[in-house]
Amino acid sequence: MLEIKDLKVRYGNIEALHGISFTVDKGEIVTLIGANGAGKTTTLMSIARLPRPEAPTVIAGDIIYDGESLLNVSPDVVVAEKRIALVPEGRHIFGNLSVQENLQIATYALDKDANVKDAYEKVYSLFPRLYERRKQRSESLSGGEQQMLAVGRALMTGSNFIMLDEPSMGLAPVLVYDMFKALRQMNEENMTILLIEQNAKIALEFAHRGYVIDTGEIVASGTGKELMENPDVKKAYLGG
Amino acid sequence: MFTSFFQNIINALQWGSFYSMIALGYCLVYGVLRLINFAHGDIFMVAAYLGFIFITFLFKYIFVGGGVSGWLILAITLPVVMFFTSVLGVFIERVAYRPLREKGAHRLYVVITALMVGLILENGNLALFGASSRKFPAIIHRSVISFSGVHITNLKVLVIIAAFVTFAFLQAIVNKTKIGMAMRAISYDKFAIPLMGIPVNKVIVFTFILGSSLAAVAGVLFGMSYPVLNPYMGMIIGWKAFIAAVVGGIGDIKGAFLGGFLLGFIEILIVSFFSSNLKDLISFLILLIILVIKPTGFYGVAKSTKI
Repeated sequence: MLEIKDLKVRYGNIEALHGISFTVDKGEIVTLIGANGAGKTTTLMSIARLPRPEAPTVIAGDIIYDGESLLNVSPDVVVAEKRIALVPEGRHIFGNLSVQENLQIATYALDKDANVKDAYEKVYSLFPRLYERRKQRSESLSGGEQQMLAVGRALMTGSNFIMLDEPSMGLAPVLVYDMFKALRQMNEENMTILLIEQNAKIALEFAHRGYVIDTGEIVASGTGKELMENPDVKKAYLGG
Repeated sequence: MFTSFFQNIINALQWGSFYSMIALGYCLVYGVLRLINFAHGDIFMVAAYLGFIFITFLFKYIFVGGGVSGWLILAITLPVVMFFTSVLGVFIERVAYRPLREKGAHRLYVVITALMVGLILENGNLALFGASSRKFPAIIHRSVISFSGVHITNLKVLVIIAAFVTFAFLQAIVNKTKIGMAMRAISYDKFAIPLMGIPVNKVIVFTFILGSSLAAVAGVLFGMSYPVLNPYMGMIIGWKAFIAAVVGGIGDIKGAFLGGFLLGFIEILIVSFFSSNLKDLISFLILLIILVIKPTGFYGVAKSTKI
């Protein structure tokens, strides 16, 4: 479904990814794990084709999605036509809009006859808290609720491929677990997921496959289980 | 005393209407781009000239014999001028602001560019029409409505109604439509807009169309009310409208709208008590005091939610 080929990107003159390659197949949950600054967020922003200055410039390699290169696709078209959603780091919800408006705005690019009602129902059944707070201004939500909203918003875009950047960040442990359960439920309903996490343990537990990324290069890969048992990965990312 | 009080209120409402319509344009562009579009006052000036050119054209080639209702001419002129002013606004966005944005330039450089665009519009006009003032054709016969000593011209009523109608229209767009929701969202977090499948540039172009159209309405009505046009007429009134928007709280279109009227009222009331030489001095002192006490303006929010 998604194939990253020898991708090299830079911010200004600084090369941030030195030729990484990996694939995500339909129906999978794939995770990229690695330390802060390893290039995980950079990878997702490159795939989403976000513009400078926040996102990097691709200098070599390719991003292939369903057989077509994304390199010359604009970021809104990545969502509107390719149906790839990104839940960015730091959530980036629209705090001045209500919860419901945040979900509504994500349907901007859907066809007129798209079944928006079902999409709302799906999001609200996955995250009942959002339904309780649907009229509230979204900046008044707690961190965990904001994360749910960010994921819900990605679902509303009608995407069948979702990338998530650190969905566990800043959440209480019990909420992290709930979030991953919701992700697994989405996956069981045919959502392909590419997930990056600093919390390698939980990410590997839930993912089918994983890649370890270190200073802009992929240094290990395998199924979630294999990586959890890999001694190097254990030492570097799983606390021994 | 009583009659002069009401007379002043009407005058203040009329002046405030001009400031408000221009201030809304600053507010919209600022909300979406965080750009103080210093060229906006000059866009207002160009709109007044476009009205002058178009009406002159109508009289010369279309309605040669005269005898056409002034209201009909206004009804034709307004949309035409709104259209061409929007084209100008979008053109400026396209050639002056967007390239800088796409190169990731700091906002300061874009503001400097906006100042230059304003100067280019003023001097371009100077080159085309020369330094002498132009007279805006009188299309609507001024009639005066008087009751118990208060005189209101039909033009004043028209200006005030126009300001309220355009504001209501703008409120409806911003609050009830999908693109309006995108404008509100972009003012809070521009980064996430493309992630919703929304083309950022489309929202920006739409914003410039709205802002320029408002300037066009203000420009034509201003030309009708004060028929002497010169290339620098947009500068001072533009700055004043911008300050009005800030005092009202540039964070909110209600703020910009009210700020315009506030400035109108302050100016007219000062003139009725002091020499008109002191008008700008005293009114800006008052606005300065308001800002010192409440730096975010009346409706402004310290947090980054604009529009």
